[in-house]
Amino acid sequence: MSGNDPTSGDGDRLEPPTDDLLAGEYVLGVMDAGQRRSVQARIAADPAFARLVAEWEQRLGRLNADIAPIEAPPHVWHGIRSRLGWATRPARASLWQSIGLWRTATALAIATAIAAVIVGRVPTHVSQQPTVALQPATAPVTTLARDSGVPGWLASIDAARGTMLLVPVPAPPDARGRVPELWLIPQGKTPQPLGLLSRNRSHAIVVPAGLRAALKSGSLLAVSLEPPGGAPHGVPTGPIVAKGVIQL
Amino acid sequence: MQPMLRGIQVPEPSSRPDEATSEALLASIALGSRDAFEALYRRTSAKLFGICLRVLPARTEAEDVLQEVFASIWQKAAQYDASRASALAWLTMIARNRAIDRLRALPTGAQTTPIDLVAELTDPQAAPLDDAERAADRERLDNCLHELDTRRRALIRAAFFDGSTYEELAVRSGSPLGSVKSWIRRGLLQLRACLERP
Repeated sequence: MSGNDPTSGDGDRLEPPTDDLLAGEYVLGVMDAGQRRSVQARIAADPAFARLVAEWEQRLGRLNADIAPIEAPPHVWHGIRSRLGWATRPARASLWQSIGLWRTATALAIATAIAAVIVGRVPTHVSQQPTVALQPATAPVTTLARDSGVPGWLASIDAARGTMLLVPVPAPPDARGRVPELWLIPQGKTPQPLGLLSRNRSHAIVVPAGLRAALKSGSLLAVSLEPPGGAPHGVPTGPIVAKGVIQL
Repeated sequence: MQPMLRGIQVPEPSSRPDEATSEALLASIALGSRDAFEALYRRTSAKLFGICLRVLPARTEAEDVLQEVFASIWQKAAQYDASRASALAWLTMIARNRAIDRLRALPTGAQTTPIDLVAELTDPQAAPLDDAERAADRERLDNCLHELDTRRRALIRAAFFDGSTYEELAVRSGSPLGSVKSWIRRGLLQLRACLERP
């Protein structure tokens, strides 16, 4: 064992660490519970300090490469599903696909969607589009129907602001792992990508400025199944699973 | 036009979730894709479990923290910023921080095995790297760690891998607390200077 180092300071003579060192100590993991809590609060409140922490994470995180992967037991995945409230089966498809229910539930769904946008866990949507949450109840609604005729998504379009709120009718995921992507097809033109859609959550879509002129009656909204992350080259590669003509 | 999610250019994905990059999976998770979440779990849970187990040797604790980590990934995927860190770096830091927070809440504390400040320490669990860029990064860090004196290097490695506090490191190394703090702080500064050298 090495004893004290005559060249290094003793505890009493140590200067308080700079912010940069504090960030380094946090990432290294030497702080006690109380210090960690106060540093975590500071990370949340102080972007400049959060950047210092991120820089140390980048430096020291490389050490994580030394840690060998170890397969987690199967019950961990079940535990995660149950923590997220996924353990129970979703509502029966026949109920969700009932057009009668859908007609009467439309207003409710929009209300739910508004709530989802307001309290949603995608803060950027809320901050960038605060008005979306206030408008959809009065905005015209376009139904994107599946081939079977049942609604797949409901689009509440605000043409003036170039936004729309997409409300999905919950459906089982694609067996091949593809994700839904929304396209705007102006009359006589090719499909223009509007981004990925959620299968089970309502969320806002911002239409790029160059496409807003096409947000008008007669243009088509369509949903295709694409690889996770979206169609790679901006053109649909998978089947169209739902579509509807915009009526404003 | 490529699909944009929160200002992030989504990397070109392959045709199946298992072939998509972890960054693309996180973008899909932010939009609520459970398929992407499951694919990310399949891909990264073993690595993250290894990290949890390294800090929390009790398996039940490590399993519980791993569940907490993935529940948090589902909730925080939208906060991931691809311009700041790779998906794996972001995920491993979440796992590490949750594991250390749990360790601090346990009555037992971190490892108590003595740290030898004189002998060269090597990590018994070192794993091969699968990616050339990360391997180069890792080699640079190794070179910089080797510029530190043995004592600083041993303490920094023990702190990182075991999640020990300054107090625990002082006991484990049989050194005064002030010296341990001073060695680690100087070691961190020296490490940063070395890594920033062009």
